[in-house]
This record gives sequence, structure tokens and C-alpha cells, in this order.
Amino acid sequence: MPHVGSRLMCGIAGVHAYHYAANPVRSCELAAMSDHMAARGPDGQGNWSDEESRIGFAHRRLAIIDLSEAGRQPMRTPDSRYVIVFNGEIYNYAALREDLIARGIRFVSHSDTEVLLHLYAARGADMVSALRGMFAFAIWDRVARTLFLARDPYGIKPLYYSDDGWTFRFASQVKALLAGGAVSRDPDPAGRVGFFLLGSVPEPFTTYRAIRSVPAGATMTVDCAGAHPAVRYHSIAKVYAEGAVAPTTGAAVEAKFRESALDSVRHHLVADVPVGAFLSAGIDSGASVGLMRDAGASAIHTLTIGFEEFSGSSDDETKLAAQIARQYQTIHSTRIVSRAEFEADLPRIVDAMDQPSIDGVNMWFASKAARELGWKVAISGLGGDELLGGYPSFPAIPRCVRAFYLPSRVPFLGALSCRLMRALGPSLGINPKAAGLIAYGGSYPGAYLLRRGLFMPWELERVLDPDTIEEGLRRLKPLALISRELSGTRLAPFARVATLESGLYMRNQLLRDADWASMAHSIEVRTPLVDSVLLARTAALDWRGSGLSGKAMLAAAPSRRLPEAVVKRAKTGFTTPVAGWMRDGKGEGESGGSATRPPRPWARAWSQAVDARFAPSA
Amino acid sequence: MRMLALVTDGFGAAGGIAQYNRDLVTALAQSAAVESIAIVPRFGKPDQQLPARVTQVAPLGERLRWSATATRIALSRRFDVIFCGHLFAAPLAAALAALIRKPLWLQLHGIEAWPTPAAIVRRAAGCASLITSVSRHTRAAALRWCDIDPARVRVLPNTIDPRFAPGAPPHALRRSLALEGRRIILTVSRLSSSEGYKGHDRIIAALPRILARRPNALYLAAGDGDDRERLEALAREKQVAQNVRFAGYVSAEDLPDYYRLADAFAMPSTGEGFGIAFLEALASGLPVIAGDRDGGADAMADGALGALVDPGDESALVDAVVAALDRGAGDASLAQRFAFANFSRLVDSLVRHRLQ
Repeated sequence: MPHVGSRLMCGIAGVHAYHYAANPVRSCELAAMSDHMAARGPDGQGNWSDEESRIGFAHRRLAIIDLSEAGRQPMRTPDSRYVIVFNGEIYNYAALREDLIARGIRFVSHSDTEVLLHLYAARGADMVSALRGMFAFAIWDRVARTLFLARDPYGIKPLYYSDDGWTFRFASQVKALLAGGAVSRDPDPAGRVGFFLLGSVPEPFTTYRAIRSVPAGATMTVDCAGAHPAVRYHSIAKVYAEGAVAPTTGAAVEAKFRESALDSVRHHLVADVPVGAFLSAGIDSGASVGLMRDAGASAIHTLTIGFEEFSGSSDDETKLAAQIARQYQTIHSTRIVSRAEFEADLPRIVDAMDQPSIDGVNMWFASKAARELGWKVAISGLGGDELLGGYPSFPAIPRCVRAFYLPSRVPFLGALSCRLMRALGPSLGINPKAAGLIAYGGSYPGAYLLRRGLFMPWELERVLDPDTIEEGLRRLKPLALISRELSGTRLAPFARVATLESGLYMRNQLLRDADWASMAHSIEVRTPLVDSVLLARTAALDWRGSGLSGKAMLAAAPSRRLPEAVVKRAKTGFTTPVAGWMRDGKGEGESGGSATRPPRPWARAWSQAVDARFAPSA
Repeated sequence: MRMLALVTDGFGAAGGIAQYNRDLVTALAQSAAVESIAIVPRFGKPDQQLPARVTQVAPLGERLRWSATATRIALSRRFDVIFCGHLFAAPLAAALAALIRKPLWLQLHGIEAWPTPAAIVRRAAGCASLITSVSRHTRAAALRWCDIDPARVRVLPNTIDPRFAPGAPPHALRRSLALEGRRIILTVSRLSSSEGYKGHDRIIAALPRILARRPNALYLAAGDGDDRERLEALAREKQVAQNVRFAGYVSAEDLPDYYRLADAFAMPSTGEGFGIAFLEALASGLPVIAGDRDGGADAMADGALGALVDPGDESALVDAVVAALDRGAGDASLAQRFAFANFSRLVDSLVRHRLQ
């Protein structure tokens, strides 16, 4: 079946003057928002607005093979009641389409956009629970005069909005909303504090007060009085809670996992464009390629990024990656990145970065290289560590909570030790995180903050002014924000850490970085290990009780299992020399006092340099 | 839905907040979703027939007495929602709403909601199911201190009173104020020294430059208050006393005629929650000038309905006033976007969909 490529790699934007007092939507504002997203879809754009100019949509597209107008966006139903703009991929669209056809719906195109449109007409807001994929879309109902927005369960595709009380605006990028010229740039202390605490801005906050993110796994409805609070339809914590009710154990576990992982990879290959894969020396990307082979993909292209500095060292992934490529008989490329190239690209990297981040550089170069090879779509192994417990945090956080549960409940002890360590720590060479162990370490949210924290709350005064810190912490409520991911469910330690890593680090850091860094090169990244169906099936497997390791299970999932050297190498971690380049690169920022030995000092310096680019010039 | 409305100014009270409350209660009473509204005011004795299904107890004045009565009524009868008409009462209203486990609807008007209030007020506001604000400006200001989902804070603007419309020039009034042959720049507002933000002084200070370009211009300030002496002194100091008239207190009945005798309306204020006078002027067909730092931007719809000037920029004010005088009568129908029918439909939608 031809799969219309015109919906690939899109940027969407819209303006809705919902309030009777608001001025009509100006087409020049919409055009400016759309122009800012040219890289997301360089081959064309579509605009639509209603007769009274109360609502307008803009869409950027990169047409891949099928240039027919049938899949063009914004798209309307034949009766013109519903209009949609959509960014992403619906992997089960064919099944949904068959279903709708059986119910008498007539389709004019083969696009998944049209499936969304009719599914919404048939099922309303509930339709999101039927979708498998990555998506951000908006649908206008001309009769009910409501605007409906939805974002995929994990938040792979971005969707930001601004509601000033009269007019609602949305876009795939924060910077596109600003480019329209009508949204305030007043900085949000919560966004800046969140960035320094965690290394990325935690949703729903952004660095601007007027702009928020539609939460992952949520829908929003805008009526004549404006936006309603977002409604969460998906919660990772709840999926784990449901999976734990009657989990599969024993010998069946491995087979079920293999089946589920293969099913996800197969769904992610839906497209008639050549699909490539980013390949490192790790299990996640290697197993994904193996499963692509099992799914029947022919002529698989793979790409590995290597760094000059690592040539011949144990950090060099290119050789092992090449071995995986040979095993699965892929058409393999290795692209070497030099320090000079990094430094030359740095201004463009920061420019493409939609929200401040301490990461994303690897994805930038991988996507750049993919673009050079003429790729449109790349499979990534992103998400394997979150799904299968690949991070050291999986044992470390529960251990920390057990150790500090009792001390953390002694009144004032946490605060006292925190003060003491802050005073004495630097001269004793103690990691600043140690100061918070008693105050924070006794709970999952606290231990998570310690683990993932870039700066500790008491260290913020080094990088931000007191007013910003006070207001930012008050608005952000970091511990409440983290524990909200747990949805108040009672979960096993593994499920808790998996929920926090997936709902915070992966969502706010990895997936967001993957989006801007790949879109800057017009590459669509697909992540079969970040999939709501795979999550539900994996959550119902008790592999730990069955004496298995999650990552080993993934390594064994392809019919030809990964080379032993790859499994053995696993968890040296994904290393790049980027840290070093950033550290002694531009002399930007400072590592916050040489007497202390802060964690990830380069990341701290980098975060300050990035913040300086985003902070308002006074 | 049975509603308990805790307000400062009920039916029969004077001023902008009383006017707003009357419009809101009238709209609520028209909503099929509303069963009854019980108003507990601090001030105001009804001087008109109350809308159907609306009751109002005698004004209670002093705060403590008002709070005690509100508490007694809230606990002795059944209500489905508590409406709180003023930020200062939010802690009481939030406590009552929590006690009876019903949603709280809080109304914000203007400058009371701009600075960060006491922690107890902030927390109470954060508990509201719905906050309505007269303007985007007040909404944005409240969202700086209030930790609430911004989606719960909606904008419910002032609405126009149909008494304000273009009409025959009131010759008698013109004669009595000795305004014949003059081009009139009007401001309608209290002259309160505690509210010294309205911008009378800015207009008086700019008057020499306006007169230099339009010699027949005259500034008419309608409204009275304790700031009048200072403003009169300023007019003398600027040597424009003969080009400034202080009309003093103007009754609600006479007010439409004041707009009809003017050629332009200017209030380069910095403290308007919305500025109902802007709407009255627009509806009367006047070109209007407002400040760009407050709720006036809403009344002017970002400049679509009237001119927005930086209140600190005298040259911009002079240019805007001269342009308004030259332009002549404006399009009174522009103000119709703030018609009561629109307001009323929005109130109905809020009641139906925002108070779960």
C-alpha cells in the first residue's frame, strides 16, 4: 500500500481568537510562525482559516515521494466540519482505516491524517486511546466551535501553546510561537530553575511564562472561554500498575518480549521510503537493527558516528558497530566528527535548540550525517535503558531510598546535615550532592533529583539571582513535579525508576533533543523502544522474578542474537568527546568554583552558556 | 445550580465594581443552568427590581459582620458553588467552599490583583476552580503570584450599558459649562489622590503643546474627588486654567450627555483593570485614547478600537489627542463586540463547563 509521504516531518501551528473580544486572526502572524519552522518541512506549506478569521492553521511539509494533493494539510472532512493539522506518524493507521471503512466511512487519500480526522468525527476525544505512534495534532470542529489538541503518550512529538485570555496559539516549537510576534517573552523563573536543576526544562513549563507545553499523553480542548485544563489519557505509572496485577513469569517471558519488540519494530517500519537506523555499539540500537532484519526489512542502511579523539581507544564504538552491521548485513556508513566541525556547528546547534538543553549534540551529528546520505527516516534505539532498566539509577535509587528512609524522617536532621555539608563540604572535597542525601535521599522523587540533578537546589545561587530562585522553586515545586509522574500509584522499585526516567529524563531531555536536532536536518527519528503498546506488554512481564536481565533479553530478541562483545561491553555508557570540547572549548561559563568537585562539571558550564543564550537580554 | 455570591458591592451600590456585579448577576440569572443566586453584600440596598431567581440580603457593612453572616448562610443552606466577588475575601470564600465541598469562583477586577497578596490570599486563590478576570492584563498579573493552572483563569470583560450611544449634542449642558466653540477632550473618572494614576495630570501637562496645535481645544474632567485641588493648581502652573473645566460629580443619568458633548476621550492611565469609561466613550462614538500598560489595552482591543499611548510619553499623547480631535466622530458600532449579549453567552458557558 502506498503510504503518503507528505505528512512526514511536519511543523504545525495555529491561532484561534476564541474570545469575542479578540481581534481576528492575522494571516501574517500565522505566516511568520510557519516560516520559522521551514526546516521541519522545507518542501511546502499549507494554510487555512475560516471565513470569519477566528481560527487559522499553518502546516509545513516535507514531501517525500507522493506529491499528490490528497494528503495535503490542513485537511478537511468532505462536509468541512472538521479541519486538522498533524505532525507525526500513526503506526496502526491502516488497521484503524479498515475499521472506519467497515463502518461506512469513505476515504479520499491513503494518509494517516485523514484517518485521524474521521476517527475524531466518530469517537471524539476518546480516539486518542486507539492511536499507536508519535503525534501532535489539532482539530477544529466548526459546528461545536471547539479546538482539540492531542499529544502522544510519551511526548515524542512536541506541542506548545500560549493562551493570553483572548487568543490561543499553538506550534511545534516554542521559537515558532515567539516568531509570530504576539506572544510575550517574559521569562518564567520556573523554566530557568528547572533547567538548572535537571539539565532540561521540565514540561509543562518553558523558559517563557506565556508558553506552556501540552503535557505528554494529554489532550486539551479550547472553547469560547479559552483552554480547559489538560486531560491526561495516558500515564506510564498506571501502565506499570496494571501490568503488575497478573504478570507473565517463567519461560514464556522471553518469547513474549521478543514478540512484542518485533511487533513494535515492524510497526515503526511502516513507510515506503527507505528506513535507516542509527547504530552505536550498544544493545538498544543493535537489537533494533536485528529486529528490523527479522521484520523483513531489506537493504537496511545503518550509520555510526565516530569521533577522531577516540580512534583506537576503548571508547571507539565504530568497530563494534561495524561488526553488528556485518552480522545483519546492512549497508553501513561511519561518519567521523572532528572537534573543528563541532566548533563550526556550535552556533547552529544553539540556534536550532528550541529550549535550553545540556544535550542533543550527538543527535545533531547523527542527523546531519543521515541527511548527507539522503535519508528521510531513521530508527533509533532511544528508550531501551528506560524500558529495560539499563541505567545505574535502577539499582541506585531504590538503594538510596532504603538507606535514607529513616534518617530523612528525623525532624530537622535533613536541613541540619545539608547546612553542615554545604559549609564543610567544599574544603573536604565532598560531592555537593552528598549534602542533600538525608534531606532528599529518603524518597523516590528526592533520590531521583539527587541522581539526575545538574545543580542541587541549594547550589542555584551560583547561577541565578535570589528572586528567580525563590519564585522559580515556588512555581516549579520540583519534588511535587517529579512525584506527579508516579500518579499516586503503588509501584515496585523497578517500575518507579522506569516511570521517573521515562516521564522526566527521557521525555524532557532525550526526546525533545531528538526532535529539534533531527528536524534541523529534516530527518524523522522513529523510536520503536518508545512505544505505548510495547510498554504495556513489557510492563506485564516479570523478567526480574524470572532471573533475567532486561538488556540481555533485548540482546537476545533478534533471531540472530547480538554478538557477545556487544552484550559484554554494555554499560560502559555512551561516551562522546563532546564533554571535553565543551569544557575547554570556548571558555564560556565557569564550572562553579574550583574547590568543589561538582558532578558533570562540563554540563554545568555548558548549561550556563546555553542559559545565557536564552535569557532575556536586559 | 444554586450560587452563593459573596460581594462587596451588591445591587444598589455605586461604582464600577457594583456595575460589574450587576451585569454578572443579571447574566447568571439568564442562564438556564442557574437555579438561584443568593447575594450577600457589604454595601448596597436594591433600588431596582432584582432579576428573577436572585435574592440579596441587607448590606452588612463592616467586614466581620459580613463574614459571620456569609458563613451562617453558606452552612445553613445548600449551594453548589461559591462566588467570591473580591480578592480580599478569597480566604473566607475558599474556606467555606472547602467546608461544603463545592467549587469556588473568584472574580478579579484590577489593581487589587496586581501586587503579590498575602500568602493566605494567594493560597486561597490557588484553590479556585475558576477565576475570572476583567482583562488579559489582570489575568497575567495574577498568574505571576497565583500557583494555579492558567487554564482556570478566564477573562470576562466589562460590558457596555446600552444607555451609552451617540445622540443629539446637549446644547444646554454645553452652554452651562461654557464650552461653545471648543473642541472637548473628556476624562470621566474619580479624582482620587489615592488613585492618582488616571492621567489627568498628564493631559493637563500636555495641554500647552496641544493648544499650540489646536487652539480651540479644552479639557473637561468629569468626576470629583480629593485630587481636584492638586490638578487645579497644576492647570494654573501650566497656564492652561482657562482651558480646563472641572465638572465635578456627574450623576449616572447625566453621564451619557457628557460623552455626547465631547470630541475625544482620553485617559492615559496606568492602573485600569479594564476601564469601563473607555467602553462608554466608544459606545458614544468618541475617538478614544488609553494607556498601553494596563487593562486599557483590552478596552482598545490592542489598538483596533482606539489609540494606545505610553502614558510616560508626552509627545505621543499630544499626537494622539490632536489626531483624535481631527478625526472627529468614531464608529460607535466598534464597541459592540463588548455587547451584553456576548458577555451573557460567555457567562453561560463558564457556568456550564468550568465549575466542575
